[in-house]
Parts: sequence; C-alpha cells; structure tokens
Amino acid sequence: MSFGEFTRLADEQAQHLSLSGLRAGDSVVLVMPQGISLVAAFAGAMVLGAVPAILAYPNFKTDPVKYSQGLAGVLANLKSPLIVVDTSSTETLLLDHLPKTANTKVTRAAPLQRDEAPPLGTWRRSVPEQIAFIQHSAGTTGLQKGVALSHAAVLRQIDHLARALNITESDRIYSWLPLYHDMGLIACFVLPLVLHLHVVMQSPTSWVAQPATMMQLISDWRCSLTWVPNFALQFLARRVRIEDRAAFDLTSLRAVINCSEPVRAQSIDEFVNAYAASGLKPTVVKTSYAMAENVFAVTQSHVEGSPPRVHVDRQRLLQDGLAVGAEPESSGSTCLVSSGTLVAGQEIRVVDQNDMERQPGEVGEILVRSDCLFDGYYGRPDLSAQALRDGWYHTGDLGLQIDGELYVTGRSKDLIIVAGKNIYPHDIEHIVCQHPAIHDGRAIAFGVPNPNLGTEDIIVVAEVSREDDFLDDAKIQNALRDAIVAELDVAARAIYLKPPRWIVKSTAGKASRAATRQKLSGEHPELMAYDQSSSVGRHERPI
Amino acid sequence: MSDQFEQMIQYIKRDVMRRPDVQLDEATPLVSSGLIDSLALVDILMKLEDVTRTRLPAGKIQPKDMDTVQLMFATAAKLGKPRK
Repeated sequence: MSFGEFTRLADEQAQHLSLSGLRAGDSVVLVMPQGISLVAAFAGAMVLGAVPAILAYPNFKTDPVKYSQGLAGVLANLKSPLIVVDTSSTETLLLDHLPKTANTKVTRAAPLQRDEAPPLGTWRRSVPEQIAFIQHSAGTTGLQKGVALSHAAVLRQIDHLARALNITESDRIYSWLPLYHDMGLIACFVLPLVLHLHVVMQSPTSWVAQPATMMQLISDWRCSLTWVPNFALQFLARRVRIEDRAAFDLTSLRAVINCSEPVRAQSIDEFVNAYAASGLKPTVVKTSYAMAENVFAVTQSHVEGSPPRVHVDRQRLLQDGLAVGAEPESSGSTCLVSSGTLVAGQEIRVVDQNDMERQPGEVGEILVRSDCLFDGYYGRPDLSAQALRDGWYHTGDLGLQIDGELYVTGRSKDLIIVAGKNIYPHDIEHIVCQHPAIHDGRAIAFGVPNPNLGTEDIIVVAEVSREDDFLDDAKIQNALRDAIVAELDVAARAIYLKPPRWIVKSTAGKASRAATRQKLSGEHPELMAYDQSSSVGRHERPI
Repeated sequence: MSDQFEQMIQYIKRDVMRRPDVQLDEATPLVSSGLIDSLALVDILMKLEDVTRTRLPAGKIQPKDMDTVQLMFATAAKLGKPRK
C-alpha cells in the first residue's frame, strides 16, 4: 500500500467517524485486530483531531463479560463517546455485554475502499501540545493506566530515535508487535508513518503460530530494522526448524532491537548463532530501554557493534547492589548486557530509596526526565502524582550505570513480564481472591524466569479458607486458571493451594510477596532450581 | 490412535507443562482453560507433526483448533500433508 492510498483510507475513516458523531478532542477506543483497518482508523481519528486509544482485541480465550466490564472501566476514565470495532461479532459481543451504564456508541469501521480518488480534505492542523493519542499500560483492562501523549512529544521522540539509529529513507521496518503496546505502536507504526518508511506488518497471533514467517518476510521484503522483546530471540532460535532457516537471506537486517523485557546475553547469542548461515550479521542485535510514559526510548545501544557486556559477581549484585567484576566463566558470575546510552533529550538518575544518587556501578531505581515525557495518566491525577515527582518519572525499574551505559537489572515494582506483556501481580491476586474457596487477601503471584523461552512464567500461591477445600484442589486450580486466562490472557505455569495461615504476612498484616516466595521455594525445590537459572539478578532485598 | 493420544498427553504434561502429576485427557481444554499458553502451541504443533508424520500449515491453524488433544489430531487429519 502506498502512502497516498493510506492517506485516502485514513481520510475515509475520518469521514466515517465524523458521521458517527466523533468530534475534535473526543477520545475514541479502537477494538480491532491488527490490520490496515485498525491503522487507518487510528490515523483517521487523528485527522479529525480526536484522540484514539488502541486496546487489546478479544480472542477465543477472552471471557466476554469480564472483557466488557474492563472496557467499561477504560471508557469511564477516558469519557469516550465511541468504540470502533471491525466485525459484527465484536459489535455483538460489546452490545450484549457492555454494561448499560457505559454511555458509549459502538460503530464498525468504514469498509476499505482503495481507489485513486484524491483525499477528501478533512485534515485539521494539529496543535503541538494537544494530545495525539493514548497508550495503555499494564493492568487488567479496567484498571489500565492511559498514558496521554502530545503530538510534540511524539515527534520529538521520533526525531531522537531516528538520529540514534541513523535511519534513512532506504530503511524498511518489519513488525509483528501488537499496536496496543508502545514498541509496536511507536517504533513500528508511528515512526515509519512520520518518516515515510515502508513497514511490513503481520499480526502477533500469526507470528506466534508460525515464527518462521518473521524471517521469511524480512528475507522477502529486504527489511533492515525490527524491534522484538527478548523472548522472541530465543523463540526464533529454538522454534524454527533448521531446514527452514536455510531459505532465508537476512543480509538486509542492520538492527534487531531487543527491548521491553530484561535483556539476556544467552538469548542474543542463541539467535545470532541460529541464523548465521542465513547471512545474519553477528552484531545485528541492539538494545534499548523504553517505556510508554516516555513515548518510547530512553536509551539505545550504538548502531555499530554489539551492546557492551559486563560480567559481575552475582551475589554482590543481589546482596549489596554492586557491580563487582567477575571472571566470565566462573560459577558465581552473571552477565549484564547494556541497554545503551541516552538518546538525545533524555536524562536519567539512578537513586536509592531516599532519592540519593547512586554512584556508577551501584544499583538503584531509574528515574527519567526528558523532552518527550508524558504529562500524567489520563484522568488519574492520583497515579500521576505518585509517578511524576519534580519532573522526574519514577520508573520502578532497577539499574546501574557504567561508563555512560545503562544496565537494567530488575524491577523494584513487582511487575511480571510474560513475552513482553506487563502483568501486575496484584491483578492476578485480585482475580484469585474472588474465588469463594480462597481466603480474601491471601494470594501471592510472582514471576520466575523461564530459561527455555527467555521470558517469565507466572506462579501463584493461595490459601484456601478451610482445610476441607483441599478435597476440591484440582477443581479450584482449574477455576483459577480459567479466571486468570479469561481476564488477563496469560496462563499461570503453576498454582499452589496451601492451608489457612500458610502465607507469610508482613508486620503490617499484609501478605508478603518476597517472604512467601522464599517459603514456597523452600517447599518446592523444583521452583528454586528454576529461579536460580536466571542470568539477571532479582530484586527482593532493599538496596 | 489411542497410543498417539497418550504420546501427546504425556508430552504436554512432561515437556510443556512440566507437571507430570496433572490430570489430562484427550478432551481437556488446554489453551482456553489457561493450562498452557499460546506460545507453547508452536512446540505442540512440531510434536504433532512428528507423531502424525505430517507437515502442518501453521498459518491455517487457529489456537482454538488445538485446544484439546482430540482437536489436535482432527486438525492434523484434516490439514496435514504426508512428510516427504
């Protein structure tokens, strides 16, 4: 599709949305599968001066009632008058299940009509500081935080990123990333749209079913840039047959940017080795540290060469928060991969719990300030005040700096990242505690590394209210799995049910995630073995 | 067929879920029930190809076609091409 055709389609969607009652300044929620209609509707909303927000598309695992309730929460926060869907089945799902209190109209996107007619001329001149669109962060749908981003912030980020990556008009981007995620939306859709680069896009579901298609499309279309979460590198190395790899020509790729999950050296090495015979450059994998709250990238590794690595003593890193050099092959060493140096317009501080600066090589929380930082969470001044203090965004991520390179070592917030998707443990715990057999407030969820996939798995431990409930152990576990997947679209690897008063409580009387995790690992050595296989330090002790 | 069912069930319990003790039969929903993640379907598809000695067009297979062991074999019978 040419840019002219896309402009035409966006214009048609704008006309359609206008006829559906959407006005400049209104927010509009898009519930559509990855495809041309979705990106045209997104652009069409902006053409009108409206503010689009893309949400995850329901799949066959989704519970329609829970999905609709969550969506109603987002709509209430955004005060959106309109939801745009793609098909009659999605429209029916929402009309049947969306609470009647949600005063929002559901409409289908305009049918695609590619013709040669000139644009219809509905374009409005944007005000730079006006909100361009809203990205949603982790959380159950109803509790997701909307990150509102201005046109000026988005354009500044794209300018910085284009310079950091030496992007030229000959670059071509490949992506399977979902558009409700910052990496998919900004790096793989908005950036090529603004810079007039070609993008080859497929849906996440078709990539997961056939990982080889990514390499085939890159090979066929001679793509030069792509972004992926860490797990994808290992997935591509292990789940594409060797005989299938022989057909790919990957010489066009100049950067595969590993972002949005902790970077693991082993995943990078496996990927590079697996595709060396396909012409993949040994230094092709780059790294970046990015977040929706900053539009996207804070750091980016250099476009030439591989990101630096340091080998440090694992125990000193975990216990003292210090990067102390260690022999690479020694059993007590762990390899940290740099996430790069600061992109233009960015500043970071690494601080301790009292907001005091940490020295180079010392672990602390990463704070970000930049010329493309968000102004706050849409409609949530309470959350905005917690996250943004004196102009600095408190990321909740832990890291350290050495020679100007940022090494991200873990998270102080107990976030779980499953295949690039951010999951809050308290969302899982809330779902689990709704089961009548589970004692209210006595559930803990946490992530453990899955070395086979290069990502994290979810572990849940919950107390039953009465010993008798153990008779229904399997039934309760199944019900909990059903509930988690229906609401969050992720599977828990293991659910442990424990007797009353098993979960460790803090002095404040709340379930303690760290202590409970330690107790569970003690009772289940298989979990412990899994936990220690991580090459990246965890973060349960104070720094 | 029951041998093949059993082979797949054992593979899913042991290698995919890493929980040999879990109760599974050929009609147990796997993805829709949250027992396995859709990422694991690629491994299962490759194993299904080995067990049935076919090549399967992954692009034509939806996660719902693989939700139970019974459905997996029905999908392989419908779409699988004999392996060369």
